[in-house]
Amino acid sequence: MHRRTPIFIVTSSRPRVGKTLIARALTEYFCAQRRLVAAFDVNPDEFRLIDHLPAYTAAASLNDTRGEMALFDQLVVEDAVPKVVDLNHQLLDRFFQVMQQIDFQAEARRRAIAPMVLFVADPDERSRRGYSLLKDRFPGLPLVPVFNENVQHVGMYRSNFPPTRLGGEPIRIPALTPVVRSVVDRRNFSFVAYVQKSNDPTSELYEWMSRVFVAFRELEVRLMVGQATPQLRHSA
Amino acid sequence: MAKPAVILVGADKGGVGKTTVSRALLDYFIAHNIPTRAFDTESPKGTLRRFHPEVTDVVDMHSTADQMKIFDTLSNTDAQVTIIDIRAGLLSTTLRSLRDIGFLDAAKKAQLSFTVFHILGPSIASLSEIDETAGFMDDAHYILVKNFINNTTFFEWDPATYNSYFNKIKDAHDITIPKLNEMACEQVEVASVPYVSFVANKTGRGEPANYSFVLRGYVRHWLGNVWAEFDRVKLLDMVAPELQRRGAARQA
Repeated sequence: MHRRTPIFIVTSSRPRVGKTLIARALTEYFCAQRRLVAAFDVNPDEFRLIDHLPAYTAAASLNDTRGEMALFDQLVVEDAVPKVVDLNHQLLDRFFQVMQQIDFQAEARRRAIAPMVLFVADPDERSRRGYSLLKDRFPGLPLVPVFNENVQHVGMYRSNFPPTRLGGEPIRIPALTPVVRSVVDRRNFSFVAYVQKSNDPTSELYEWMSRVFVAFRELEVRLMVGQATPQLRHSA
Repeated sequence: MAKPAVILVGADKGGVGKTTVSRALLDYFIAHNIPTRAFDTESPKGTLRRFHPEVTDVVDMHSTADQMKIFDTLSNTDAQVTIIDIRAGLLSTTLRSLRDIGFLDAAKKAQLSFTVFHILGPSIASLSEIDETAGFMDDAHYILVKNFINNTTFFEWDPATYNSYFNKIKDAHDITIPKLNEMACEQVEVASVPYVSFVANKTGRGEPANYSFVLRGYVRHWLGNVWAEFDRVKLLDMVAPELQRRGAARQA
């Protein structure tokens, strides 16, 4: 099988739902496996992913064609290096509009690039609409709802984010207590460095990372299976 | 032998995107495997020729020898479609010349197919151009083109006035050319290749190129919309009905 290049687009329709935390953890998930990874911070003003992971992250803009080229011309490179895109809610529409206009999915298929959208859910009606729009406009794009338990009452709105055929079941990000969250939010905090130093696998953060990394592994498997299924059908 | 088809692309005003439309037409016919040649009347340097050198000759429409080169060869060229990119300001003159040499009569007798793409500018003057051109259009397919590629806004137009001019022509259609992303437009100009080569990431010599994927995507999307407009007015039916019928028979 041709080496595939996974792209994880972490986004939401609303701010403060833990999107950048998930993008950070996902980027470090690849680092923890000593794999190359490239992250893109697509935010209109503040670049929080870059603040945390400057060595792996590039700032990207969708303000003009040059910015779009800087981002999408990188995303379409078939180098087998996983890509993580932290996509701000304000740029969600623009990002997918460009993606559609340049027919990114067709080129991705040709180059064995496997994009997957991780949509961080929240109870707001705008999120339901945003998810539904993505699902309808991009039926060929694996779309996975992400339930971050730090978002209040999100569990009550699961029906707003039904699983998709290609994306599969939602993944769950456990809540972090405020104290641990404040540690994780420090600019110089690194998940990988924490695991290397920590000798307590029962700590809250260690357990959180274990569960989240298992969820990310599951997403990788879904992408792999999604790519293999047509070939299996073909050979059957 | 299929009936030859002649397409004039013109306007009485410069800078409205005639060559853009000619390029999109050439790409369209070549993509449909219809043998096509083109004449670029921007003599002596030529503009269209820069993008399609293999199928384009530069001619001077005032020269009788060049007129012969175009029209006397219609029935003995391999090309089924001849596209003539008319220099700004020469559309009405060219139509008069065509009438004088009996070309319009040949179209009337259905010996050839004749189509005019009239590219409109944003000003009210464009409407009087329609009026002027209408007199020559009795036996031609007339396609009015609103070209937005240069960010044009057709601000001076009142739809009722436009329709009153438009309806004067029996077999008239109008099409819209959408705006192409400015940087993509610029890069295709710099590359000097057909739009389809740019989309396929190829140089003019067919070698792999290194154009931006994003810009190629914008061009592909735009060209798809332009071709959809050509499909909408059934352009292939107008210029190559035999090929269309053969294609339909094959599908059946």
